[in-house]
Amino acid sequence: MDITWYLVLSAFIFAIGAAGVMSRRNPLVVLLCLELMLNAGNLALIAFSRMHGGEAGQVFALIVMVIAACEVVIGLGIIVAMYRRRLPIDVDEMSELRG
Amino acid sequence: MSPTEYGWLILAFPLAGMLVVSLGWRVLPGRLPGWIASAAILGSFLASLGALDTVDAESHVDSAWTYAATAGFEADLAILVDPLSVFMCLVVSGVSFLIHVYSVAYMGGDHGYARYFAYLNYFVFSMLLLVLAANFLLLIVGWAFVGAASYLLISYWYRRTTATYAGIKAFVINVIGDVGLVIAAFLLLNETGALDYAGVFSGAEEAFSPNDGTLVAACLLILVGAFAKSAQLPLHTWLPDAMEGPTPVSALIHAATMVTAGVYLIARTHPLFELAPTAADISAIIGTATLVFAASVALVVTDLKRVIAYSTISQIGYMVMGVSIAAYGAGLFHLMTHAFFKALLFMGAGSVIGAMAGIQNLDRMGGFRRAMPFTFLTFTIGALALAGFPLMSGWFSKDEILAYAIERGSGFVVLAVIGYLGAFLTAFYAFRMVFRVFFGEPVPEAHELEHGHLAHGEPINPLTGDPEDTDVGFPGPEHHVAERSWPMKAAMGVLAVLAVVGGVVGIPALTDTLEHFLEPTFEESRYHEVHPSEGAEWAGLAAGGIVAIAGIGLAYVLYVRRSGITLRLRDRYRAVHDFLVHKWYFDELYDALFVRPFTGAGSFGRRVIETDFVQGFIVGGATGVVRAGTSFARAIQTGYLRAYALLLLLGVAAIALYFLVASS
Amino acid sequence: MTVHLSIVLFLPLFAGLVGALLPRGLARWAVLAGTVGVLAYAIVILADFESGGGLQYVTDDEWISELGIRYELGIDGLNLFMVLLTAVAWVPCTLVAAFREHDRAKLFFFNLALGETAVLGAFMAQDLALFIVFFDLMLVPFYFMIGGWGTGERVRATTKFVIYTLAGSLLMLAAAIALGVLSTPEGGEISFSLAELERRSVSEGTQHWIVLLFALAFFVKAPLFPLHGWVPETYRASPIVTIALLSAVLSKVGVYGFLQIVLPVMPEGSQHWQELFIVVAVFSILYGSVLAFSQDNVRLVVAYSSIAQLGFIVLGIFALDDKGAQGAVFQMLNHGLVVVPLFLIIGVIAARAGGSESLSELGGMAFRAPVLAALFLIVTFATLAMPGSPNFVGEILILFGALEDKFVYGLIASAGVVLAAVYMIRVYQRTMHYRVGPAVRSRDIDPVNLAAVAPLVAVVVALGVYPHFVVERTEGATTAAIEQARSLGQEVAER
Repeated sequence: MDITWYLVLSAFIFAIGAAGVMSRRNPLVVLLCLELMLNAGNLALIAFSRMHGGEAGQVFALIVMVIAACEVVIGLGIIVAMYRRRLPIDVDEMSELRG
Repeated sequence: MSPTEYGWLILAFPLAGMLVVSLGWRVLPGRLPGWIASAAILGSFLASLGALDTVDAESHVDSAWTYAATAGFEADLAILVDPLSVFMCLVVSGVSFLIHVYSVAYMGGDHGYARYFAYLNYFVFSMLLLVLAANFLLLIVGWAFVGAASYLLISYWYRRTTATYAGIKAFVINVIGDVGLVIAAFLLLNETGALDYAGVFSGAEEAFSPNDGTLVAACLLILVGAFAKSAQLPLHTWLPDAMEGPTPVSALIHAATMVTAGVYLIARTHPLFELAPTAADISAIIGTATLVFAASVALVVTDLKRVIAYSTISQIGYMVMGVSIAAYGAGLFHLMTHAFFKALLFMGAGSVIGAMAGIQNLDRMGGFRRAMPFTFLTFTIGALALAGFPLMSGWFSKDEILAYAIERGSGFVVLAVIGYLGAFLTAFYAFRMVFRVFFGEPVPEAHELEHGHLAHGEPINPLTGDPEDTDVGFPGPEHHVAERSWPMKAAMGVLAVLAVVGGVVGIPALTDTLEHFLEPTFEESRYHEVHPSEGAEWAGLAAGGIVAIAGIGLAYVLYVRRSGITLRLRDRYRAVHDFLVHKWYFDELYDALFVRPFTGAGSFGRRVIETDFVQGFIVGGATGVVRAGTSFARAIQTGYLRAYALLLLLGVAAIALYFLVASS
Repeated sequence: MTVHLSIVLFLPLFAGLVGALLPRGLARWAVLAGTVGVLAYAIVILADFESGGGLQYVTDDEWISELGIRYELGIDGLNLFMVLLTAVAWVPCTLVAAFREHDRAKLFFFNLALGETAVLGAFMAQDLALFIVFFDLMLVPFYFMIGGWGTGERVRATTKFVIYTLAGSLLMLAAAIALGVLSTPEGGEISFSLAELERRSVSEGTQHWIVLLFALAFFVKAPLFPLHGWVPETYRASPIVTIALLSAVLSKVGVYGFLQIVLPVMPEGSQHWQELFIVVAVFSILYGSVLAFSQDNVRLVVAYSSIAQLGFIVLGIFALDDKGAQGAVFQMLNHGLVVVPLFLIIGVIAARAGGSESLSELGGMAFRAPVLAALFLIVTFATLAMPGSPNFVGEILILFGALEDKFVYGLIASAGVVLAAVYMIRVYQRTMHYRVGPAVRSRDIDPVNLAAVAPLVAVVVALGVYPHFVVERTEGATTAAIEQARSLGQEVAER
């Protein structure tokens, strides 16, 4: 089985996700795009795991899913908090960390 | 008791006196501190007599404990008792005792009475330590101690600005001398491996060829120490200013004892100077130059105490010349007689200043002859001895030095001739003082004193005209004259007798007692055989007597017979007068050469190096680098999410690219 | 007799902790008792010390065995008097502090106690890593004392102080690690024990830069020109007891490090930089003296005079001569012994002039203060190294050592002796003598300060009468410390 197609697809999804993270202003969409990037990574991991026949890749993919879930929880939590405090839901307006 | 036991006793008395007086300042009443201090010095004098009785041709060394010893550097706390140190102890403790007694009355009304006597005892202790020390290290200790005592007593009236400046000046010049001695001691230790006199002298014979460069350097450094202490050219500028101290201090430290330490030092280290004749010759020339220079300034100075101060510089010039041309006996003889008559002159001056309520200006004085007969008599005796009037003590001692110089021949004859010129000036300025103070029209103060009233002026600083702080004295609210207080009278009386008859220990061919007594110390001298014949000595004495009488006569003509003539002379030779009044511009020269550059360097360091280099370049440079780095880091932290994401991505891409390139 | 150095070392810290648990007013007495205990113990050590007996009272335990770091303490001729100086200096300073009101007193006295432990540790450590631990630990309490209880621009001062010293000690840390790693022989265990490091060797080229990094740290601590940028502000802003300790004791840790660590462990490297360090030392002497003369603030006069004095000490060490090193060790003690009373007296003087420390406002104070004036006079004379004081013996040994091997530098340095006379006598005159200052109220020294200053002055006088007491005890260790570098220098000179 040729792994190339899987990797091309994975890279494609990763690129879409990265472009979304950098260009969209709505934090919800940014989060969604982040998920895309993570899942692109997962796809590549599982593809490699199939190719090499080990379980390590699948275990990593599971861990990434767990982390993705945590991240979404925190991210959504922040967004809800912002919504409640009537702050603008726009990543370009949020630059409190500027040095 | 052995001579060294007496030696320790000599030191113990003034030390104990100092401790008792300084620790008991609160409880000792009235004049008791003064009497305790005097008794301590009397004890020292008696112990010196004991040492005189027991000392023989040997030099006795006794060590108390090791002072410091490491890596070839060894010095004990040890004293050396030989005829030279016994002679010095006798002069120092004897004259000191008389001056202590004088001070008991003279300082009577002063607030710092106990402090004064504690300092004075400390000084005598230090001076005796200096002359008894058996090695260079202890000598330097005594050397610095007398300098410290001198400093403390010069700025004794410490709220006077002039006194504090004079104190600093004296102290710093003395420290320069100390450093000279330290480096000299190093050179000697390095070459001879010893610091004690005996070791250095015997080692020097082996280590050095005659006139060896290192030895000459060491001797010149010793001279730096000697000249700083003895106020010889070019380190003399502190002594006239030192007259800011109380008058008895001027008599004790700045005339009779401490300033002659340089003469003692040259005599003590004579084996080195004889091995390095170049250094000895330089010393003799400087001594001669100093004696003329100081005598010339003494002609025009109008401050009574400063006239005597310049006279002291000049007379020490004679002594330095004496010990440098190997006339050790004569030089030390003059040291002794000078201590008598110079202390006497200062005491007389103190009495006159007391009568003038603190004024020291000769222009304001006159006609005290009848008001103060005792002071007049003793002061005149002192002046006669200073001038070298026949049969007075100074006549024997000074002219013996000059006779030796002639005997050495060649260039030394020139020195002797200059010495006679100096003697003429000396006689002149000595009697300029006598005639201006005691003759002529009585000033109001003299009139009052004749009617039984002692003048009481407002206390003002004679130099600046500022009002004095009466808290810290300035001769105290009361003034004292010899006519009214017996301790002053007693001290001056004894010294007057000594100034007259002090010469008996050195009458050529008749007594020569002093020379024989000192012989063991100097018998190794290579000039031991050089000795003027009796005829030559008497011829020299005759010449000296004639010169003295001529000088006195000229002073009489100028100041008594035709007293207006001096003003005309001054106007006619104004340039010369200015030059002398400004003391040959030495102070101005040093100010320009040392003081200004030093303070300039200080403010340059503070303004430029500290701010621009240390704070600006080093501190500023370091903070600058840190600041540039942080501002770059800050610029990256935009706070925008996508900027961070982009950076992250670029980083990952860069790493991936690296691996791609590296693996292919 | 068995002496446990760990007890001496941690006694102050223990006292500080006890004080922190006690009610507010009692903390100071607990710490004072601790410092007195250390002094008593130090005197026992001095009495029991065997001259020329090498390293004594050794404590040697494992600490971090993976890194070869040991808990190793010991006393030899080099640090005997440094430990004693620490013990002697802390008692009067704590005493004076105890009679003054502080806010957050517990914390202040805890810092004071911690400082003593750190300094004692740095002096007693026989393991390089342990030395560095204590060396950096010293910074902590002093940072808090200056920043928390200082005056004026104290924040700026502490920032500078910390950055300077920390930069220096980080460089030293790097150098020390490099030294430990590079000196480990093939297949051997890494070790930081000084005795072990002395046996091992590092190549000469490596020694050069390691010595330089150590020197940077020590010169900052000393301080020497041009690394003294932190000095003026820190001296001006610190509480008086803190600055007395900083100047008297902490400044000695650096120069002590040269003798205990740098010279024996890296003789080639030390010899290589000898000329440079001597130039730095001589320049510091002259520069410090000239600036001390031109300062108006009394503290700054002492600050710059310390730069000059430390210059003398470094000159004595790097003359690489027995006499010079001997003098340097003695002078380290002497300088500490005079600086503490000097600063305490400055505190007393400032209190009598309405808090002013400007020389132009302090004059004429001696009048009703004869005891103060007398004590100050003795301290002044000792500071300017007047013959008869112990400082003179130290200085003359340093000068003799320098003159013997580096004549010209010795000659230049001797000018520093004259300059010292100028600036110290100026301080004395402008405070005790001269015209009366505007706010001066002449009053004699109070009993507390008298009890703090008088014993120190007595010690100075006693050492002036019998300096051999110290010299004979330090001689063996000092000679051994510089032995290798000295003989290397001689070889170089012969070639």
